[in-house]
Amino acid sequence: MSAIVRTEGLVKRYDGTVAVAGIDLAVEEGEIFGLVGPNGAGKTTTLRILATLLAPSAGDAEIAGHSVRRDPAAVRHVIGFMPDVFGVYDDMKVWEYLDFFARCYGIPAARRRQMIGDLLDLVDLADKRDTYVQQLSRGMQQRLCLAHTLVHDPRVLILDEPASGLDPRARVELRELLRELRAMGKTILISSHILPELEELCTSVAIVDRGSVLAHGKVADIERRLRAGAVLRVRVVGGIEAIEAARDHFAAEDHVASAAILDDGTIEIGFRGDEAASARLLARAVGAGIQMSSFSRAASDLEELFLQVTAREPATLATMLQA
Amino acid sequence: MSDSLPMSGHLAHEDDAAAPVERDPNERVEAVPTQVVAQRPRFLRRPRIAVRERLRSAFAGFTAIGVKELRGRMRGRRAFVILTVYLLLLAVFSWMVELTLEQQYGRGLAGSAAFASAQIGAGIFTALLMLETLLVVALAPAFTAGAISLEREKQTLDLLATTPISSLSIVIGKLLSALTYLFILIFASIPMTAVVFVFGGVSPDDIIRGYVVLFATAIGLGSVGLFFSALMKRTQAATIATYFGVLAVCLGSFFIFYFWNTMTESNVGRGFGPLRGRPPEALVYFNPYYAQADVLCGVENGFGYWCSQVAYVTDRSMFGVPFEPTVDTGGQPRVVVPDQRGGVFIGPALDVAPIQPFGVVRDSFWPKSALSWLGLAAVLLVASVQLVSPARRWNPGLPRAVRRLMRRNRS
Repeated sequence: MSAIVRTEGLVKRYDGTVAVAGIDLAVEEGEIFGLVGPNGAGKTTTLRILATLLAPSAGDAEIAGHSVRRDPAAVRHVIGFMPDVFGVYDDMKVWEYLDFFARCYGIPAARRRQMIGDLLDLVDLADKRDTYVQQLSRGMQQRLCLAHTLVHDPRVLILDEPASGLDPRARVELRELLRELRAMGKTILISSHILPELEELCTSVAIVDRGSVLAHGKVADIERRLRAGAVLRVRVVGGIEAIEAARDHFAAEDHVASAAILDDGTIEIGFRGDEAASARLLARAVGAGIQMSSFSRAASDLEELFLQVTAREPATLATMLQA
Repeated sequence: MSDSLPMSGHLAHEDDAAAPVERDPNERVEAVPTQVVAQRPRFLRRPRIAVRERLRSAFAGFTAIGVKELRGRMRGRRAFVILTVYLLLLAVFSWMVELTLEQQYGRGLAGSAAFASAQIGAGIFTALLMLETLLVVALAPAFTAGAISLEREKQTLDLLATTPISSLSIVIGKLLSALTYLFILIFASIPMTAVVFVFGGVSPDDIIRGYVVLFATAIGLGSVGLFFSALMKRTQAATIATYFGVLAVCLGSFFIFYFWNTMTESNVGRGFGPLRGRPPEALVYFNPYYAQADVLCGVENGFGYWCSQVAYVTDRSMFGVPFEPTVDTGGQPRVVVPDQRGGVFIGPALDVAPIQPFGVVRDSFWPKSALSWLGLAAVLLVASVQLVSPARRWNPGLPRAVRRLMRRNRS
């Protein structure tokens, strides 16, 4: 199956800053694809380009074969977009809200009524039909906004941080809803700066930082790659000479890709080995007479890894991801 | 029977065997016309569908916006209470005007009472039309100044911009729905204005003229509000800019005209300043006061205040009666007309405008004013369309500073 969403060398520059620096993505039909990265990584910009709200400075993106540059009108017919921050109209009832968007898509009156009922059932707002939109809770507004993206039965849903600002229960409900939508055959692009949110939900993720993709693939795949490599943190007792000597010792060891001294004197080691290998590394270090006050292996779960991925030096990163 | 069964079975079998052979040519024959149709050049088929589709989608777009806006605006009792109060005020106001005029005629202050009824009718019409004009100038920009910027502030514009609805539909839908309520107010006042028929002195076409000016002005001023709403990020800024824009266009242009006129020496008997040549009357096309003055000139009994106001800006002689042409002062033929103070006024001879029963030139100004408003509206709407959605903006060769300003206002 070919990719339904594809970006090629997507670049977006604002005055002087680069928000997206050449992102290549491919999302298969029927996937729930997660875009993960810290705030300011370029997730929102990427999604807004896909939603035809921003024109890319360079590169192109295609959704269902339509270019966002050349044929944005066709793209709008196949996508449903939910922005990270969105407002609701005052003075509008829930059904009127959906009716309005259905009219925008030119859906005939006969079908609108039926569809509004179905959508409200889907997002569990059927009993709020005549409530004013601004009186709904945040979670309900979020679900209503999600419902509005579905009025024209799009193939691709683009959801920018849909879970932000939701309480845990609303998050669970949202997750269930997204699973249901996937079962209906929708392809879903979703972004988040919180990895666990996506971990259970997504079939594939791309980890982005500073406008580029650091890792891209199936969740399990990335997890395996990340687990294969790890970051070891070693604290050495003694002056700077002792620390530097220890660093040189570690750098010469097997499986060690990089060894660097951080500002606080901790030695950070990019390590490509399993736990047994790191135990051997520790044993040899003790044997070499290095005075260590701590030796820890970080990156026990994806969340931790993600934090490292997005906070580390590029050299360490490269080790972790290409391991 | 028993014979025929195997026979038929045999035949059927034969048919089966022959069928593929027979069916194939059949299919081909059928397929040919379909193919011919399908092979019609793309450029012949596509545009028609595209145009119809586009029109349909544009219509769906602005009805969507219109229905949404009007549902909000007309919900509950508010809109109807406002309408009722407004009509009551209008009624009280015209009653007051009527009483005042009656008293003046009663005391002999307003001249002969022979035409009193017609004069009172004209007086009420004048008062109502000017009040309505003021209403339009005050409300039309207010209704549209938040149209786009409120969507930005409430962060709903993105939701709208990802639908297939075109920017043009958004802009037109916003303008029409914002003006609809104003139009309702104007329309509702028509029966009120028709009271003047009881008194006489005003003909239906005068009323039509007046309302055409009102509608054109409302559309023009509404577009000014919409344009600033699309240009500015905040509604507050958009509202302030709109009112300054309206002031500049309506009044500022008049002040320029006034000072320019004062500075000229070209008009005999008027001004001795350093400038040559009259200011162009186009300067005051955007002044609704003069447009309505031209309408009101038509209900005057002879050449009165309103006609002289129009004459001031158009510089046309007011009487159709051809007076003795004077010396040709180079270029245009001129006529001499008695002015109101018993002197004479020399102006260019009449050429274009029609002459009314009282010999007053009318319709020389308001049609141009109305057309100018509509023209301005068209220009501003096109500009607003460009500003509504950044990604689909057609990028004109604007100076870098302007582009940056536009970008800053948006992001």
